[in-house]
Amino acid sequence: MTATMTPYRSGQQAGHDGFAQVLWAEWTKFRTMRGWVVAMLAAAIATALAPIALASIATSNDPMTCVHGTCQVESSNVATGPDGEAVTDSFYFVHQPLAGNGSLTASISSLHGTGPLAYLPGGVPKHHLPGLPQPATQPWAKAGILIKAGTRPGSPYAAIMLTAGHGVRMQYDFTHDIAGPPAVPSATAPRWLRLARSGDTVTGYFSADGRHWGTVATVHLTGLPTTAQAGLFVASPDYLFETQGFGGGDQGVDNPTQATAVFRQVSKRGDWPAGASAGAWTGGQAGFAQRSPDKISRTCNGVACGSLAQQPGHFRQSGGTFTVAGSGDIAPFVQVVDPLQVTFYGTLFGAIAVIALGAVFITGEYRRGMIRTTLAASPRRGRVLAAKAIVIGLVTFAAGLAGAAIAFPIAVRKLHDLSWKPPVWPVWSLTSQVGVRMVLGTAALLAVTALLALAAGTILRRSAGAITAVIGLVIVPLVLAVVLPTAPADWLLRYTPAAAFSLQTSTQRYPQVTTGCIPYHGCYPLAPWTGFAVMCAWAVLALAVAAVLLRRRDA
Amino acid sequence: MRHALHAEWTKLRTAPGTALLLAASVLLTVGASALTAAIVKCPGSCTADTTKLSLTGVMLGQATVATLAVLAMSSEYGTGMIRVTLAAMPRRPTLLAAKAAVVTGAVLVAGAVAVGASLLAGRLLEPGNGFTARHGFVALSLAHGPTLRAAAGSVLYLALIALLSLGVATALRDSAVAITVVLGLLYILPVLGTAILSPQWQHHIERWAPANAGLAVQATRNLGTLPIGPWAGLAVLTAWTAAALLAGGLLLRLRDA
Repeated sequence: MTATMTPYRSGQQAGHDGFAQVLWAEWTKFRTMRGWVVAMLAAAIATALAPIALASIATSNDPMTCVHGTCQVESSNVATGPDGEAVTDSFYFVHQPLAGNGSLTASISSLHGTGPLAYLPGGVPKHHLPGLPQPATQPWAKAGILIKAGTRPGSPYAAIMLTAGHGVRMQYDFTHDIAGPPAVPSATAPRWLRLARSGDTVTGYFSADGRHWGTVATVHLTGLPTTAQAGLFVASPDYLFETQGFGGGDQGVDNPTQATAVFRQVSKRGDWPAGASAGAWTGGQAGFAQRSPDKISRTCNGVACGSLAQQPGHFRQSGGTFTVAGSGDIAPFVQVVDPLQVTFYGTLFGAIAVIALGAVFITGEYRRGMIRTTLAASPRRGRVLAAKAIVIGLVTFAAGLAGAAIAFPIAVRKLHDLSWKPPVWPVWSLTSQVGVRMVLGTAALLAVTALLALAAGTILRRSAGAITAVIGLVIVPLVLAVVLPTAPADWLLRYTPAAAFSLQTSTQRYPQVTTGCIPYHGCYPLAPWTGFAVMCAWAVLALAVAAVLLRRRDA
Repeated sequence: MRHALHAEWTKLRTAPGTALLLAASVLLTVGASALTAAIVKCPGSCTADTTKLSLTGVMLGQATVATLAVLAMSSEYGTGMIRVTLAAMPRRPTLLAAKAAVVTGAVLVAGAVAVGASLLAGRLLEPGNGFTARHGFVALSLAHGPTLRAAAGSVLYLALIALLSLGVATALRDSAVAITVVLGLLYILPVLGTAILSPQWQHHIERWAPANAGLAVQATRNLGTLPIGPWAGLAVLTAWTAAALLAGGLLLRLRDA
């Protein structure tokens, strides 16, 4: 008689072996570890509170906007543009009223700058500003034809111009810049410009010979009155040079410059004044009549280092030929100090909590031996790492989003109360482009930092080593960037994951304005999302190495 | 005490991470110092403090020193070894003292090597970058009083960072939490110290944050303009360290392991 042995079979149904189950398992692990949940809450709270605390003590703004030793401008020199933005509006303008439609044509046979009007006035040792390049002509020195609602600072305008280093440009209402053909004026081959107004529409034309014309751009201006001021203009922006020395601190100069242009064959067509007053051109500094005050006080290395006298612009007419000299600029104003960005350094406290959390999310399993159970339950190791990455990424994103969304509006209001006011420092709302970028950016930054920490934890398997490594990659470059000289600091903020902190800048930069950009002032060399991409590349690489090692090694 | 020292030394010596972390501290310090010395040039940074410049790496090397010191204590809690240790050595203050002594000894040796090599790198590289007699610089030498103070102070700085980390680890027990707290103190406060938009708070951080105050000992030029003097800065760090060790010691004595 033979007995049949029936192997034991559990009455329970076999569970599904899908990715969803692994994901659910990782979420359950996270949710039930008190220390991890506490770390997540700590990250959210630090992200919310630290920026608010920093904003409420940001008192170093004075009326001269001198912060950290940089007296950028006297506040009276900043006007409010048509869209409420801060603008520089002070240039030399030879104009007369245009009562209706019409056009102005001129050829430019020369545009020369006279460089910085003065260099290092008394009291500044020359070695404070070593290797200072002194271009005779500013690349953004401009000469051309301009139509403006009036000479009131910040009023709407449109202009076609020749620049010293950037070819023909059509610019309007300060922030808009349209590139035309590359061209440089010379006495033998003058370049021709024409600006035509028809109602609210202004069109800029360019010609290399005065016969064949091409349209550079047609723009629509709002708020241009029937009688506008039109004429010839010359501007030459301040010469800016900024650098940071070893040991922190900034050095720089901000010198007024001047440019001179020769306009020939100036011809009017349309509703220009007729009769006795015809042809009477008025010359003067438009916008701010005088770049106030007439002496600009300057700061070098945090200490006052003399003042520069303004050299007034002028023009000379002989028949149809005009020689116009002017300084200043008509362009958006870019502030050096970014109080919101400094305030958001507070999120570093959240970042450090997130680093710890991301690392222990895997090293905790190694320490307790839990990893063997995890891998026995889900032998496909890549999946385990992917599930962990998704869970920790989402959790830290949520913590960062909540924290930053609370911090942003409160910090903005506190800064405003401490006289960081428009137009130089706009009050961004949470739904503005800057608000959305800073809040979403902070959350994304924290999430990707957590992923880096998770990868480091998988690679090193020890929490202390992983946390140190990730802090070394993400936070230490920020410390070094303010201590080292400009070149290596710039390198660090381009190639380390710290590049992603450019997401937290609120300053709008424009290609048509040359500004000093040094890490000491929280200026990042890469654009916000480009910097974030650098960090993502690091995270992807680290996760790939982690996945390979997790599969190869015994747990 | 002798037995305690011997036991702690054996543990530190045989722990897998120790040699690696000490080597990393030396390499990071010397590497970062030499790199900085190689890229900072005169003209460009002729106002630089060449001694401080050649000791830049200490700012990086302190991270691995802190890790080593944290692990010396917290890994015992991680593995449960602490219960065996305390059964063998029931006098807890003695245990902490012994641990502190061996960790300090190891860090002093590694720190001296790292600082010495960094200075040597500076001495060799800086004259080639324009820091010559013509610009008023002399080659780095320990015979120069302030440079000797900066070098010895940097070694002491690393030892104090190690003790601070040990104290924090003893109080917090968990390695992840302890290392996060220590590195937060050492790195986030300096970022805020340079960026913060309040001269008052900036001054406070420069005077009272452990890394900012402690590293004042590296300065050899313009001592009058420092927010805190070299030795006073090191004293501030010593106070932080004493407070951390005291808190750690008390908690070690009062709590169950």
